[in-house]
Amino acid sequence: MPVVEISYSRLQKLVGKASKKQISESLPFLGLDIESEDKDLVRVEYSPNRPDYSTDFGISLGLQGLLGIKSGSIKLKIKKSKNYKINVKPNVSKIRPFVTGIIAKNGKIDDKIIKQFMAMQEDLHFGIGRKRKKSSIGIHDLDKICFPLTYTTTNRNYKFVPLNSKTEQKISEILKNTEVGQDYGYVLGNSSQVPIIIDSNEDTVSFPPIINAEKTTVTTKTKNLFVEVTGINKEDAEDMLSVVATILQSAGFTLESVGITGAKNNTPKLEHRTLSVSPSLINDSLGLTLSNSVIVSSLKKSRLDASITGKNISCKIPPYRFDIFGPMDLVEEVALGYGVEKLTPQLSPSETLGVIHPVSSKLKSLSLTMVGLGYLEALNSSLTSKRILFEMTNRKPDNPISVLDSKSQEHTILRDSILPALLENLSRNIHSQYPQKLFETGTVFFKNNPIDEKTSFAAVWANQDSNFSEMKSILQAALKTGFDLQIETKTTTHETFEKGRTASILINGKTVGVIGEINSKTIENYKIRVPVTGFEISLSGLIFD
Amino acid sequence: MSQVFHEIEKKIITILKSQSTLTPEKLGELTQLSPDQVRRGIEWLRLKELAIVNETQNINFSLGKNGLHAFRSGLPERKLVDLVKENSMKISDLQKQLGSVFGPAMGLAKKNNWIESAGNEILLKTYPSSIPGEKSLKQIGESFVSKENLDQQDLQSLLKRPDFIVENLIKTKEISLTKNAQALEISESDSGAIDVEANVPEVFVAKTHPLKDTIDEIREIFVTLGFSEVFGNLTQPSFWNFDALFTPQDHPARELQDTFYLDGISSKKIGTPDQIRKVSESHKKGWRYYWDINEARKMVLRTHTTCVTIKHLAENKPDEARVFSLGRVFRNEKVSYKHLVEFNQIEGVVVGSNANLRNLMGIQREFYRRIGITKIKFWPTFFPYTEPSLQTMVYNERLGKWVELFGMGIFRPEVTKPLGITKPVLAWGGGIERIAMLKYGLDDVREFYNNNLNWLRSASKCQ
Repeated sequence: MPVVEISYSRLQKLVGKASKKQISESLPFLGLDIESEDKDLVRVEYSPNRPDYSTDFGISLGLQGLLGIKSGSIKLKIKKSKNYKINVKPNVSKIRPFVTGIIAKNGKIDDKIIKQFMAMQEDLHFGIGRKRKKSSIGIHDLDKICFPLTYTTTNRNYKFVPLNSKTEQKISEILKNTEVGQDYGYVLGNSSQVPIIIDSNEDTVSFPPIINAEKTTVTTKTKNLFVEVTGINKEDAEDMLSVVATILQSAGFTLESVGITGAKNNTPKLEHRTLSVSPSLINDSLGLTLSNSVIVSSLKKSRLDASITGKNISCKIPPYRFDIFGPMDLVEEVALGYGVEKLTPQLSPSETLGVIHPVSSKLKSLSLTMVGLGYLEALNSSLTSKRILFEMTNRKPDNPISVLDSKSQEHTILRDSILPALLENLSRNIHSQYPQKLFETGTVFFKNNPIDEKTSFAAVWANQDSNFSEMKSILQAALKTGFDLQIETKTTTHETFEKGRTASILINGKTVGVIGEINSKTIENYKIRVPVTGFEISLSGLIFD
Repeated sequence: MSQVFHEIEKKIITILKSQSTLTPEKLGELTQLSPDQVRRGIEWLRLKELAIVNETQNINFSLGKNGLHAFRSGLPERKLVDLVKENSMKISDLQKQLGSVFGPAMGLAKKNNWIESAGNEILLKTYPSSIPGEKSLKQIGESFVSKENLDQQDLQSLLKRPDFIVENLIKTKEISLTKNAQALEISESDSGAIDVEANVPEVFVAKTHPLKDTIDEIREIFVTLGFSEVFGNLTQPSFWNFDALFTPQDHPARELQDTFYLDGISSKKIGTPDQIRKVSESHKKGWRYYWDINEARKMVLRTHTTCVTIKHLAENKPDEARVFSLGRVFRNEKVSYKHLVEFNQIEGVVVGSNANLRNLMGIQREFYRRIGITKIKFWPTFFPYTEPSLQTMVYNERLGKWVELFGMGIFRPEVTKPLGITKPVLAWGGGIERIAMLKYGLDDVREFYNNNLNWLRSASKCQ
């Protein structure tokens, strides 16, 4: 989950009439987890579905509601303007078809605000922008741009001065040489044409979704902003724009519209939606009996507009709250506005009788039997490595099941046997007191359209006097006591076991596993200094399906 | 203090009472015990503060190769004066007789005025009755002699010569009894008694794994709360792990860097045609993108056990149910003290017309109460497939802070409707290792899978 660093004193200023303590206690009840605090600074983790919480402006809107300082929804006041227009050329339709935008004027910009805007932009790009693939934002210094603008395409030899550069670079160079180019160039694929926003002086404004032009860089001297969002669908682009517009308005900017025409594009409306919810759904879901007026006031505290219309509650949802899909989302808004701390847990009697799964019961009784026989239970991962599963035990890899891109070299393939891991465990305990007796039950995996999962049971015994006969006695006792199963053993060979001291395990004439003395090669590989015997049998199809 | 002695101890005490101080070698001789028995006996007595072991270091001398030679045939300068004692001799003859020591012998004899030279002849001047070093040479001979028994000045002249004298460092142990031991009466009558107060070797109890114990405890708590256990595979098609839970196909959680995809393995059968169609519609409507069935076919290692319960609900569509699923889940993470790639999770659901959020909180509170956690609170949070969503915060006394445990919520209609589930579904779940860490006071989650025998053998059953 994303994290944002904010300052209590700034929040206090934005929220108004709230102490630091009140703010700090309220943050978790907005769904914001406090990660760490250092005097005035606090780092909070917020949900990816609430990008408005990526800035202190957004958080303060939520806090105002929860603390009863302000309630109801935030209305965007957008002055209609004819001065700002973007004309969209049809050639963008196959690459990045939609553009939208807004003007924000007369704001104060300092370093802290720039930092907040950048954090918001990053989060929007990562979250709803899906790493800029779905939609991406550019924020520009309005006074450096001559409207009207054109959203069109150009070829990869096109040159301009990109952000943080002093010289002109070709598009192809930007994609190759800059960090953003390398990270997000994939969005453009192999197409020879790339999207570009150009102003009426034919100066480049932006090369979406990669980089802005140096010329339009926002600094602490900037007063007026132009925000553009491009994307592969109109709704997502406008959702993103609505978050930015709401935050900019909260930061003290006045908004003006940008007229957009051409190639199925049009001017964004950024209007409220109406969603209706029944009070009974709210009360039934939460286990409360709230009156309609409490529901309305709770929704308002969650910064939504609500009113009673007939039997239902009608809710007006501002455009930046696109995380609200339907009535159940409003149930949560009521719970938050009402106060989660006021919901008391209630234990209702169960209508059902609980049952342990028979596999769990049988595995537990097998564990207890093995403990009775003096064996200690081990636990190993099902994801393991070729080294442990094959190399150290001399087994030949038989088409193992691999996972892609594992971050850990010890966890790259799924085990088809438990025994190798138990031998590895012995090798890590050569300085502990002997005898060492270990067992494990767990899942093993085989390829079979697509995967067969079986439960396996293995044990090892390491000591000076470890030998085949006693190990067979242990296995025999475990299966006889636990499940009334009789075993037979027949001479066999196995890469991990000593020739002449290895047998396959048969139950009712069917081979279910292998038992024997571990061969010297394996024992040397693991630098174990005492003889080891062991067995492994498959329980699936034996004591359960 | 124990008055029961081993036979070895008895023998040593008895001998020492009459001899006061003895070396271990001498003790062995007198008690007829082997050197190892003597060593053990002395050690036992020393620990019981009955014997005093005095270790001393001594330097003694023996003769080296040249020293032994001189001991047998005289010092070179003695040889020289003996040769010229009767008659003078030619230098060349003397050289022949004395060989390599001719030079040093001549030097010493001249310096001490024992001889003089005339032309190429050597004559005796005065015959020395004793030569420095001869006394020590005789004293040491073929044995070892300690430093204090030698004439230091006489010894000096030998020490300067190469390979004459070898210096040896000798450590000797002397054993004596303490006053307490002197007073002991050693009788033969208690020979059947043993030292019942002594420490004994450790033996280790075979046990089930501590983490398995926690898992069993949690399983049993939920069974007694009316929940039945359901099982499912650890490998799942993405469809049940993600799509059925309304996680869009381009969601970051579905990327390779968070989820383990099985290399080249897809499932042909992922659900009924109706389930697939409705889930895909729910995605297209809610998330506005092209839903790809091939993406849903890709096999993954389950990232949560929720895929098992949702599949159970989709297949059975119960009006009333309490079920849970417990087992291993996987995340493609860097392994650290707080993260494993493979860990255990429990996830449970309550289905019922009257199921509500406060009931869900009630079940959580009861569960925590039964595992001994009473200081809890609930905070709102976000999960892609529940709405509303809460998380339990429990107070960790040891760390002195609130830590997050189980998450919970009501399944979104976008999850339940496409699968034909019509009643509200309360869902909760979380990692088990976290609870086991609290229980066993561990700070490093890896300990559960290290199979370190020292820890497994010592971890207490009842925490």
